[in-house]
Amino acid sequence: MQLKNPKQLATLQKKYKAAEERFPKKVLICCGPGCLASGAQKISDKFKQVLKDKRIKGFSVEALKETGCHGFCEQGPLVIIEPDGTFYTRVKTKDVEEIIEMSVRKGETIDRLLYSPNGDGQRIQRYHDIDFYRHQDRIALANLGKISQCNIEEYIALGGYQALAKVISSMKPDQIIDEITESGLRGRGGAGFAAGRKWATCRKIESDVRYVICNGDEGDPGAFMDRAIMEGDPHAILEGMVIAAFAVGSSQGYIYVREEYPLAVVNLQKAIEQAEEMGLLGDNILGSDFSFKIRISRGAGAFVCGESSALMKSVAGEVGEPRAKYIRSVVKGLHDQPTVLNNVETLATVPVIINKGADWFKKIGTKKNTGTKAFSLVGKVRNTGLIEVAMGTTLRKIIYDIGGGIIDDRPFKAVQTGGPSGGCLPESQLDLPVDFDSLTEAGSMMGSGGMIVMDDKTCMVDVARYFLGFLVNESCGKCVPCREGLYQLHALTVRVCEGRATEADLEKMEKLSNQVIIGSLCGLGKSGPNPLLSTMKYFREEYLAHIRDKRCPAGVCRELITYEINDKCTGCMACIAVCATHAITGKKGEIHVLNQAKCTKCGACYAVCKHDSVVVS
Amino acid sequence: MVNLTINGKVVQAEEGEVLLSVIRREKIDVPALCHHEAVEAFGACRLCVVEITRQEWDGWCDYVTSCLYPASDGLIVNTHAAKVNDLRKTIVDLFLARHPKCPEIIELAAEYGVYSTTYQTVVDGDNCILCGLCTRICDRMGFHAISTVGRGHGKEVSPPLHKAPPDCTGCLACAQNCPTSFIEYSAAKGFLTIWDKKFELLKCSGCGKETITKVFAEHLCQERKIPFEYFQICDECHRKQLAATMGEITSWDREAAS
Amino acid sequence: MKNRFIVNPDLCTGCRTCELACSFTHAIEGLRGQTRIYPLDGGFKDLWIPVVCLQCDDAACVKSCLVDALRRNSETGAIDLNQEVCVKCMACVAACPFGCSVVDQQHKLVVKCDLCGGDPACAHFCPTKALKWNPIEPQTRKVAV
Repeated sequence: MQLKNPKQLATLQKKYKAAEERFPKKVLICCGPGCLASGAQKISDKFKQVLKDKRIKGFSVEALKETGCHGFCEQGPLVIIEPDGTFYTRVKTKDVEEIIEMSVRKGETIDRLLYSPNGDGQRIQRYHDIDFYRHQDRIALANLGKISQCNIEEYIALGGYQALAKVISSMKPDQIIDEITESGLRGRGGAGFAAGRKWATCRKIESDVRYVICNGDEGDPGAFMDRAIMEGDPHAILEGMVIAAFAVGSSQGYIYVREEYPLAVVNLQKAIEQAEEMGLLGDNILGSDFSFKIRISRGAGAFVCGESSALMKSVAGEVGEPRAKYIRSVVKGLHDQPTVLNNVETLATVPVIINKGADWFKKIGTKKNTGTKAFSLVGKVRNTGLIEVAMGTTLRKIIYDIGGGIIDDRPFKAVQTGGPSGGCLPESQLDLPVDFDSLTEAGSMMGSGGMIVMDDKTCMVDVARYFLGFLVNESCGKCVPCREGLYQLHALTVRVCEGRATEADLEKMEKLSNQVIIGSLCGLGKSGPNPLLSTMKYFREEYLAHIRDKRCPAGVCRELITYEINDKCTGCMACIAVCATHAITGKKGEIHVLNQAKCTKCGACYAVCKHDSVVVS
Repeated sequence: MVNLTINGKVVQAEEGEVLLSVIRREKIDVPALCHHEAVEAFGACRLCVVEITRQEWDGWCDYVTSCLYPASDGLIVNTHAAKVNDLRKTIVDLFLARHPKCPEIIELAAEYGVYSTTYQTVVDGDNCILCGLCTRICDRMGFHAISTVGRGHGKEVSPPLHKAPPDCTGCLACAQNCPTSFIEYSAAKGFLTIWDKKFELLKCSGCGKETITKVFAEHLCQERKIPFEYFQICDECHRKQLAATMGEITSWDREAAS
Repeated sequence: MKNRFIVNPDLCTGCRTCELACSFTHAIEGLRGQTRIYPLDGGFKDLWIPVVCLQCDDAACVKSCLVDALRRNSETGAIDLNQEVCVKCMACVAACPFGCSVVDQQHKLVVKCDLCGGDPACAHFCPTKALKWNPIEPQTRKVAV
C-alpha cells in the first residue's frame, strides 16, 4: 500500500498498534550476532515448533519476536517475556517447553534461568533492574531488542516514520538543519564533526546532484554497534537518511555495508523494499514531490574503506584508497558531487531528535557532546555487550557499573577506546568523562565506539604490537609514511617484545610515530601510532622492563618468558595431553616435568592447568 | 590571480592551482616520485610535502603535500622548513629500508644524507615503490590493464589475477614512466613481451625497423580513426618518402622551367 | 597561424645549417637536442628537401595521443608537445604520416617541431633562404611544406 499523505501514516500507526496490543504477552528472542552465535536461531525454531501444537489463551506464534541485539551478549541467548520484562539468560533449546508452560501460560518465572550477577544464587527477574541496563540511556539502540528485525509494521507501531511525516508536512529543509545543529549532534563515526554543519555546507553548494551516504563499514575489531542497528533496526537508518536527504536536497543515497555483515545486507534490503512499498522511500515520498532512492553498496571488508574518501571511491567502484581532503568530501565527494556521509548511529539518532526536539536531546550528555553514544564493551570485562550511555559518563561507570568490573576480580590495567587506532588509557584515567574532546586530549579517541578492557595479564607492548600489525595489514598502502612507517613501527615493537630492543629504539619509535602522524595522507595513518604512543606514555615502565630487564611483566611476550611447573602439580596429566611438542612428561599423580628445550611457549598448559601449578616467569 | 609567499618571495598563481606547479615554476627543487602531469595528483610519496601557514594562523603550521594543496591568497609556504626536511629524510630512509637495491632510491637518499637505512631492511624488498604511476597512466590511456592489488605492506602492481592482462595493448607507457625502471619488458624477433603477454610488433615495410605493437596500432586506428597504413612504415621512412615525393614535384617544375 | 614555412628546394644546398640551428635551439642542459628538421635527398641531382612538421589541421599525432599531450598553440599555430604530460607511448611517432614526431634517444624524449615559439631558428639561419618563415599570402603558394 502506498501512503499518499502523512495522515494515512497516522491511521496506519493506530492500526498496527492495535494489532500489537492483541497479545498482552510477548516473547522476545534476541537474534543479534552474539546470541545467534550461541544458538538463538535454534531456540526460536523450537519455540515455533512447540507453539504450533499448542493453544494458549492470549498468545500465539505471532507474539513471538526475533529481535535485534539486546546488548547483553555475555549472557546470550536471551529470551525476554514482556510486558513484565522477565529476563532469561543462556537459554537452551531444552528450556523452551518449560518457558512456554511456566512463563507464558501460567505467568510464573523460572528462577534457574534468571540472571545472577555474582553467581551466588541471588537472581534478578526484570532486565530493567539489572545493573547492565539500569545505567544505560538508549536512543540509537532504543528499538533494538523491542521489535522484530526489519518489521516495518512494528516499527511504525512504535512511532516509526513519524519524524519523516513531520519534516515532510511541516518543516522546511533549513528548519531541519537548524534543529540538528541546535541539538549539537556530532558524527558518531569517530571524528565527531557536527552533523548539522555538514548538512548545511552540503545544502549551500550549488549542484544538481547531491548524495547522502550511510557509513556502515564498521571495521574495528570487537565493534558491532552499527551492525546491531543495521540488522535489528534498519528502518531507523532509512528514516534518518530520508530526513537528511530532504534537508540537503538529495535524491540518491547509498548505504555502504561490509560484506562480512551478510544479515545486515539482507535486512537492509528487505527494509528498503518494505519502505518503498509503503511510499516512505522512492518516488513521491508520502505523496509529496520529494523523491529519494537508496541503494546498498557492499564493501569487501577493507578497514580503510570506513574512511570517507576511500568509502566514496569504493562506492564508485574504484580501488578503496583515500584521497587528500584539502577539498572536503561534503564539497566534492561521490562522483565529485557534494556528499553527506554519516555514520549508522548518527542517522539512527536523527529521527529521535526530530520527534523529541533539539532541546530534549541537548539535555542528555555534556554541553559540547550532546546525546548518547553506543559502545561495544568487550575484553576482560564481566558483562560484555552492546551499551549506550550519555556522553560524559566516566570510564569507571562504564567498566564497573555497567560492565560489572573485571573478570575474576583481577586488577584493571587499561582500556582501549576508538578501535585499532585508538589509545590505551590506564587506571589513572578511569574518571575521564567519555566524550570526543576528553578522549582525544588523553591521547586516545572516540572512534566508532569500540571499548576493549584489559586486565593485568595483558602486556601493553604486546597490545601495541597487535594493533600495529592490524594496521600494517589494513593500511591501504598508498602513502609511504603509513605503509612503510607503520611497518617499521611494528618491526620495532616486535623487537621490544622479543627483548632485542635498546632504549635508543624507544626514542626512534617516538620520532617515527610523530613523522607518520604528520606525513600520512588519511586518518588511518594519522592515528595509526596512537596505540603505541599512548602505551609508551602511560606504561613506559613496561617497555623499559622488556628492554632493560628482558622481562615481560604480564607474562605474555613469548621470547621473554618461560613456563615452569611448580610443586602444586597434582599430576592430572591435563597439560601433557594438550602439549603439542611433548615437552611435558610425568606419570599420573606425580609432579610433571617440563623440558624447556622442547617448549614452544604456546601457553596451552598454562591455560589448561586448574591448580595454578603452571607458572610464567 | 592570488598572491602567496614561497620561501619569502611573493609570487602569483591562479586561484586553486596546486602549490607544486607554482613551486616548479619558481624553479625551486622539491622532490616528487609519484607526480606526472598526465594524471591526477595522487599524494602517495609524500616527498613534496611543504610547510604552510597564514598570518592569521598565529604561528600554527600545517604540513601538506604540495601536489594536491590549492594555492590561495595570503598563503605562506616554506618548501624547506626544518620539519619538512626532517620528514623528507624519514621518508627516503623508509624507502631505502624497503628498496635497498634500487639505484634511484639510493641516489635520492644520498641527497638527503642517508647512506644506509636506520630502519630494518625489508629482506624481499623489490624496486617497486608503489607510486601508482603505471596504473594511473594505464587508466588515463583508457586501457585499465593493470592495477594495484592487495593493501598494506603487501600491496603490489599486477594485472588481473596475476595473469596476462587481456586489456593491455603493449603501449609500454607503464614501463616508460616507472621512476625506478621496475617494470620489465623485452623485445626480440618481432615480438614484445610485457606483463607476461606477447605482442606482435609492426615492422616498417621500408627498412624493417620495429615500431609499436600491432594491437596498439589497431586500437589507435579504431578509437582515433587513424588510417592503418600510417603505421606500416617507420618515421624515418615516412620522411624519406615525403622528401622523394617533394623531390619529384620539384623536378617537374625544373623540367617545365628548362 | 600568420606565418608558414616556404621552401624553395632550388636554393637548398643541403648544408644542414637548419638541422644544426634546430638542434642547438632545442638543447637540454647544454646537450644539443634532437633535430626536428631533416634536409633529405630529394632523389634527383642536387635536390634537397628540408622535411619539417607541417602542423596539420587534422593532425594524426594529436589524434593518436591518448593523454592529450599534443595541443595546438593558439599563438604560434604550432602543435606543441607538452613534455610534462607525454607518457612516451610512441603513438604519435608511429602515427605521423610524415615522420615528424621523433624520438630524442639521448634524452629519452619524444620531440616535434614547436616552431621555436613563433620564430623558427631553422628559417632564421638558412644561409640561402631556401627555407623561409613568411607571412601567409595567397600568391606565394609555390611549394609550401
